[in-house]
Amino acid sequence: MLVLAVVFCLPLFILFSVALKAPEDLFTDALAFPTDPHFDNFSTAWESNTGRAGGLRTALVSSLIITGCAVTALIVIGSLCAYVIARRPGKLTNTLYVLFVLGIIVPFQLGILPLFVMFRKLGLIGTYLGMVVLWVGILTPLTVFLYTGFVRALPRDYEEAARMDGASTWRTFSRVVFPLLRPITGTVAILTGLFIWNDFFVSLIFLGGSGRETLPVAVYSFVGEYLTQWNLVFATVIIALLPLLLFFLIAQKQMIRGFSGGIRG
Amino acid sequence: MIADPRDRQSAVSDSAASPSRRSQSLRKVPWILAVPAVFALLVLRFLPAVIGATYAFTSWNGVGVAADWSGLENFRAIFDEPITSKALFNTFRLAGLLVIIANVGGLLLALSLHKALKTRNLLRALFFLPFALSHLASGYIWQYVFQYDGPLNRGLRSLGLESWQRTWVADPQFAIYTVLAVLVWQYTGLAMIIYLAGLEGIPDELHDAVAVDGASAWLKFSRVTLPLLAPAITICATLTLIFGFGAFDQVVAVTGGGPVNSTETLATQVWRNTFIFGRYGYGSALALILAGVVATFAIAQVGLLRYREKQLL
Amino acid sequence: MAAIELDGVGKVYRDGTRAVSDLNLSISDGEFVVLVGPSGCGKTTALRMVAGLEEISEGTVRIDGTVVNRIDPGKRDIAMVFQNYALYPHMSIFENIAFPLRSQRISRVERRQRVERTAAILGLTELLKKKPSTLSGGQRQRVAMGRAIVREPRLFLMDEPLSNLDAKLRVQMRSEISRIQSELGVTTIYVTHDQVEAMTMGTRIAVMRKGVLQQLGPPQEIYESPQNLFVAAFIGSPGMNFVRATLVPEGGELACLLKGQQILLPRGVVDARPGLIEHKGSDVAIGIRPEHLSVSPVEGPTLSATVLRSEMLGAERLVHLSVDASPVMTDEMVEAAEDVDPTALSTLRTESIEQRVTLIARVDPSVTATVGEDVLLGVNAARLHFFDLETGATIA
Repeated sequence: MLVLAVVFCLPLFILFSVALKAPEDLFTDALAFPTDPHFDNFSTAWESNTGRAGGLRTALVSSLIITGCAVTALIVIGSLCAYVIARRPGKLTNTLYVLFVLGIIVPFQLGILPLFVMFRKLGLIGTYLGMVVLWVGILTPLTVFLYTGFVRALPRDYEEAARMDGASTWRTFSRVVFPLLRPITGTVAILTGLFIWNDFFVSLIFLGGSGRETLPVAVYSFVGEYLTQWNLVFATVIIALLPLLLFFLIAQKQMIRGFSGGIRG
Repeated sequence: MIADPRDRQSAVSDSAASPSRRSQSLRKVPWILAVPAVFALLVLRFLPAVIGATYAFTSWNGVGVAADWSGLENFRAIFDEPITSKALFNTFRLAGLLVIIANVGGLLLALSLHKALKTRNLLRALFFLPFALSHLASGYIWQYVFQYDGPLNRGLRSLGLESWQRTWVADPQFAIYTVLAVLVWQYTGLAMIIYLAGLEGIPDELHDAVAVDGASAWLKFSRVTLPLLAPAITICATLTLIFGFGAFDQVVAVTGGGPVNSTETLATQVWRNTFIFGRYGYGSALALILAGVVATFAIAQVGLLRYREKQLL
Repeated sequence: MAAIELDGVGKVYRDGTRAVSDLNLSISDGEFVVLVGPSGCGKTTALRMVAGLEEISEGTVRIDGTVVNRIDPGKRDIAMVFQNYALYPHMSIFENIAFPLRSQRISRVERRQRVERTAAILGLTELLKKKPSTLSGGQRQRVAMGRAIVREPRLFLMDEPLSNLDAKLRVQMRSEISRIQSELGVTTIYVTHDQVEAMTMGTRIAVMRKGVLQQLGPPQEIYESPQNLFVAAFIGSPGMNFVRATLVPEGGELACLLKGQQILLPRGVVDARPGLIEHKGSDVAIGIRPEHLSVSPVEGPTLSATVLRSEMLGAERLVHLSVDASPVMTDEMVEAAEDVDPTALSTLRTESIEQRVTLIARVDPSVTATVGEDVLLGVNAARLHFFDLETGATIA
């Protein structure tokens, strides 16, 4: 079984070994690790840009900003909405909940064009704000869905105790309820963060050519540039993958738990 | 802030009351908190989807504001044009194969990993890793692997299987399977962890009971394990199906849609037609088909799950 | 119908923890043996080893003379009833009961007959088409029993089957299980932590603690002649009263000295327990069951005590009294107290600090006892138990 897993990860091994090769060795012995690693492949990839004000460095910053802001916004907006739905049971909120679930099912490709047109009119194309708003739009249904189930299962005792102590709604939520939501917030952060960070399609359409492309888009344009210089291509890919790999190493248990738990809901 | 004594009074007197009466003693959670989310849902999700759906019935070409109603013209064209009808076919083929391979593979992995105690976490992480990586990047890695001078062919050569070599990526017949390879690589891990979670949901006592009842391994699997995994299977199959239908990044990275458009899928066609060719109406029609198929399967899944739940009662 | 032999059976886990040590049990055909003890004492592990669900680290288990250590659970011809019933949630009751028969070569017709017969014995006939989730706890328990019975095995193994039921249901099911077992005459090994269940159901009881068998015998023998402090403390509700005393010579006789009071031991009592002589001058633990203490005037030795509380239980009255004495604080006592409930443990600790022991006397409901009253507590000296403080063994 361990052997199978290692074979499974062979492509990754190839990734690393090719990235460190000299251009001449590219197709000589694919599986062998290079004896003299060419770390300069990495610096070339890092420093270069495609003539626009973009580059891997910029792309990394871009990805960080967008993912960070979007995930934060999603958590705040989603949890608040779930709070309302879960704590005001009734016909209206139930319908709302069903609408959110429907929202998850409808694939976003259908609305991409109208959104593009809308954003163009509002001047939001190629801006950080625009991307964050876009992601909030796309992923709010999933967020609300995940949070609602969790809040519904929370006993009301804590909130009632806070009320008795005279806390306002906002205080009750921020000091009492939200901290109790930590597990699901973790799941939400991981699911949405992973999705946004790795996204290519949406980012390509809304950020292409703006100089604020995210990592996947940057990788795409570099590959177009380097073509068959696989060592440089892979060096680029590794740089783009590195933050995620690190995150994975640290948080993989949480990640896995998040996925299997979130799916179960 | 001084508490409203009326709150306290009603809270105390309602302590033994039913939940609906209890919630009356709580000050109501204000609607306003939900507004941003609802706004996002309606304006950023539903509205564009509806608008997109209507575009599908127009012949809008991105020029000017006018869009003539063209009814089902676009849809007819989709089936007529060889590229798009091939893309349609590819999409179904990819999704179908992906569902089967990823789910069977994932289930087998989950079954074997379920018992392994010590190395379980490490193995789980290793198999899941591909899913967490950028789909685009994964696609590029595999494109390299499938290169004519790449590791796969080289490996075949060293094993003495030269005749099996192909120009994988450049061969219109095989290219689609290279895309399938990436998809399987990524999604088998996801299937595995979903099934692992499902297996963990089966109480240990049931395993003991089966052991004492003397059931053979096959009997145990077919009569106990599989039925109890049914919800997980439904969810996982639907999920992989949806992911398969929407496959975009991987296609672009491995084959770019070629060679000769033989690996185009619905998703790539939507992109190409809408944002490159500017055939907005046509692209929207494609998107509508995609949305329709996905929605159908998703709703079928929910229905199936509900039906199963009722069966248990 | 089978005879079971456990010979030096032990279980050690891979990390070195030992769950069962040198367990020797000889169970004859048709017996109902109860393994009882606090949680973690190894009783469930022992049961699972007989079932084949746990590997046997040491010793052998024999069923009808054959060593079964390496035989699969399914091939040992045993049936097991689990604590949480382990019913297959997706199958109907009929299918649940029929499932064990699928692996045997039985015709469909016969399978159906057996299931229906079993359902009739347990009163489940109307429920055959339903699913487990719609049944009550008691009904589920009966289905679990049905699944075991339908196999007509030579051995029943039951792992705390009643612990998830409420008190009244438990009492009801206790007698049903006993009735079914005696009707069918199948050898049964029953595990429980509830000593009342053990006492009422078993033909013999095996008290276990920390993986070691403490005493094996019929319920009455365990109750009246416990072989050590743990068995004495564990069995009986309310439990045996214990105080620490010094054995001192008193005018040619022996007496128990409790911080200022003495209980003179009649000659007959000392003669019946020759071991007491060796302990002359040292501290021992003495125990007496609540029914052997009396609040009304009687013949024989007495202790001064103050009434703390009087509980009326209908058929009897329990009087709690405080006596100036040292409690017995050994490991066994702490463990037995922990097993009752947390307050028992803290009571024990308080007694140790304050050097006053609470004794419980079981008396006739007509007896009056006012709180705060100083009384003379009658001690039935012939029923005193003495225990060595080091080993915990009964001094005989």
